[in-house]
Amino acid sequence: MNGQPDALPEEPAARPSTPRLGWEEFSRELVEFFASIKLAIFLFLFLAITATVGTVIQQNERPEVYTQEYSENVYRWFLRLGFTDVYHAWWFTSLLGLLCVNSLTCFYKRFPAVWRSMQQDKVGVTLAFIKNSRQQAEIPIANTKESVAQSLLQYFVSKGYRVLAKNEPGEVTVYATKGVMGRVGAHMAHLSATVIVFGGLLGTYYGFQEFGVCLEGQTYHIPRGNFDLKVDKFWIDYHENGSVKSYNSTLTVLDGGQPTVTKTISVNDPLVYKGIWFYQSSYGDSWDQIEVARVNIKDKQSDKILTTVDLEWQKEQTLPDLKLKLAITDFVADFAFNSTEKKVFSKTVEHANPAVKLTLHEGDAVQATPWIFHQFPDLFEIKDSKYQFELVGYKPKKFTGLQIAKNPGINMVWTGCTMIVVGITLSSFIYHRRLWAKIIPTQNGGVTVHIGGTTHKSQIDFQKEFRKLTEKIQTFQA
Amino acid sequence: MMRSLFLFDMTFWLYLAALVLYIAYLFARRPSMALAPAGHPTDNFDERDGAWATQLGQVATLVTVFGWMLNTGALFTRAFERMEHSGTFAPWSNQFEAMAYVSWAIILGYVVLELRYKIKAIGAFVVGIGFIAMGAASLLPYRYQTAEPLVPALNSYWIYIHVSVTLTSYAAFAMAGGLGMMYLFKERAEQRGSTSRFYAAFPDLETIDELGYKAITVGFPMLAFGIILGAMWANYAWGGYWSWDPKETWSLIVWLIYGAYIHARMTRGWEGHKAAIYAVFGFLMVIFCFWGVNFLLSGLHAYA
Ligand code: HEM
Repeated sequence: MNGQPDALPEEPAARPSTPRLGWEEFSRELVEFFASIKLAIFLFLFLAITATVGTVIQQNERPEVYTQEYSENVYRWFLRLGFTDVYHAWWFTSLLGLLCVNSLTCFYKRFPAVWRSMQQDKVGVTLAFIKNSRQQAEIPIANTKESVAQSLLQYFVSKGYRVLAKNEPGEVTVYATKGVMGRVGAHMAHLSATVIVFGGLLGTYYGFQEFGVCLEGQTYHIPRGNFDLKVDKFWIDYHENGSVKSYNSTLTVLDGGQPTVTKTISVNDPLVYKGIWFYQSSYGDSWDQIEVARVNIKDKQSDKILTTVDLEWQKEQTLPDLKLKLAITDFVADFAFNSTEKKVFSKTVEHANPAVKLTLHEGDAVQATPWIFHQFPDLFEIKDSKYQFELVGYKPKKFTGLQIAKNPGINMVWTGCTMIVVGITLSSFIYHRRLWAKIIPTQNGGVTVHIGGTTHKSQIDFQKEFRKLTEKIQTFQA
Repeated sequence: MMRSLFLFDMTFWLYLAALVLYIAYLFARRPSMALAPAGHPTDNFDERDGAWATQLGQVATLVTVFGWMLNTGALFTRAFERMEHSGTFAPWSNQFEAMAYVSWAIILGYVVLELRYKIKAIGAFVVGIGFIAMGAASLLPYRYQTAEPLVPALNSYWIYIHVSVTLTSYAAFAMAGGLGMMYLFKERAEQRGSTSRFYAAFPDLETIDELGYKAITVGFPMLAFGIILGAMWANYAWGGYWSWDPKETWSLIVWLIYGAYIHARMTRGWEGHKAAIYAVFGFLMVIFCFWGVNFLLSGLHAYA
């Protein structure tokens, strides 16, 4: 393999005779540095090594997590080095930036040569150049130089080569090339890095990502899109063995008060409206609403269960036998009381200490709004009432967790991704080959074909191809 | 027990047989080079010996191809079983299936290589890796081997293409790793002036080196494509194309490692010995990405 990927020998740049560091010199050195493959290799490996940090150390955790697992001191170092959020640390993003500069400079420095060789190429080479090629052969043939040249040209063309020939009195020179797209592909890959990074930046600065907890039947305003979103329905599908198959929400977009789009989203199938994406991201039990509660009504004196009722959320139910009217008017999943505001609230979203607020009318005399607890049935007793109420169970309302995101950089990212995949694929499977042949007449009336060629990779394939070519040339006898 | 598990078992045994045959082939071969020190062709070369080796080689290839067909059958059977129970078709939906698929891809790659370049000695290394992958899969606890339904995030048509492309690139890197090991063995033998016929059947160093490089140039774009498909999937499922979760990050790390290699190849001195060591190292990183991450690090992919 040759050291320079650009196989044609380059003229050594004329150095200015003055030893002092002029701008010319400096900028050339700079380009040299940034376009060097060494720097590229260093960046690839350094990024690879530093990227492992974030997979070993937990990222973006609370300080306690780090001080517990490591120590105060280590944590301080983590902060200093940005190890608690490696991928957004200034030095990591700088490395990415450097990679972009590196690949752009590489493109700037090397692509013109590739471009030139797509346009036109060097036909005239010396015999010594051919003899020094990596693959070379000398084949004597009993035929005229024109006829051999003709056959050779035809053969190259039939193999998809681009051919140039020069007929001179003493010799014919044939140049054939193929696969320059492989190198164009490599440069496409080089540009892609910058395209992707730019797309990523656009998304970071002009996009957003939010998480919304939404309940069935509610409408939510989406300020960033200036429209409303109504959650019509939420449900879960199960596999036959009881595991969750998918969860789904039917959403309606209300733009200017008018329903415009209705779509059922599920995991892997988002709704897109005005560039804002709504993803079905999770679900869970609501902590402040239920669908139905089952309540035992007991006689206080005999402690006997008189009846069991299922009370729907905020719907009054009348029990004429007991002269009762009941309704569930509030719910908290984890009961807590704020004594200054005199308010009940849910301490966490966990169903740790669930309680419902019962609103009851007993006969004409008693009216009360007691909280009854699932875990502590005997906590309170309602004065003057004949009854005792027990919360036996309840069915919480499910909320649907929606990820709401807008990413204006995404199409740029996908463009860059396409470039990188197409580029690398081209450069992997197409290799650039160049062949030169000189057909020189000999004394005995025949010719000698001197043929040589280079490729910047895939030596064995090229070797095979070259062997076939020489075998073919031997058949060009008159 | 599921029918596919029986087929996977059979595949395992056939790959073992193929591996043994390839190794036997190496020992049985007695090419002129092994008998004649540098440049002295052997006139009294024992023809029967050669014929015997050739036959062994043919049987090895046949057994490999047959094993691969069974592997294919097993994957198809598993696909239908999945269809019945879990609403997806992809027979690479958990660690076990993924490994069975990787060994399928490795063996396919090997068979193509053998047909194209007619070098059988590579089988002892590459079929060996395919066999180990299959063996490691069958050592997984039974609960990993069944076709449990997928969690909703995984249950999507993206799984067909993202996972298969990524796993195929792993297979290419496995092939490169096997070739790298082979290179190092052969090189050591040459340096010690070993005349063991075992090594004599190996292709020359340059060929091994080039083939290893080729395997990497197949794997490299594939891994890029696989990672990008993963990013597109994540964008559909989670609302972000890149979240630096350990599996994602590790596949990027592996890609960067091979990116460095691809570029290093273009500078002098990065062929042969160094490249072979690097290919083995890269393959170890692939193994970590494929196995280690799932079992040692936590993240979004860990539910697989
Ligand atoms: C950012 C990610 C990069 C990717 C994905 C990438 C990819 C590639 C690929 C696939 C090739 C073709 C390799 C081959 O022909 O075997 C290549 C060639 C090359 N790369 Fe990169 N590269 C990247 C960055 C860089 C950087 C930063 C440099 C800086 C010097 C660089 C320098 C080169 C050179 C000089 C070639 C040879 C081009 C030719 O064949 O004419 N690459 N690159």
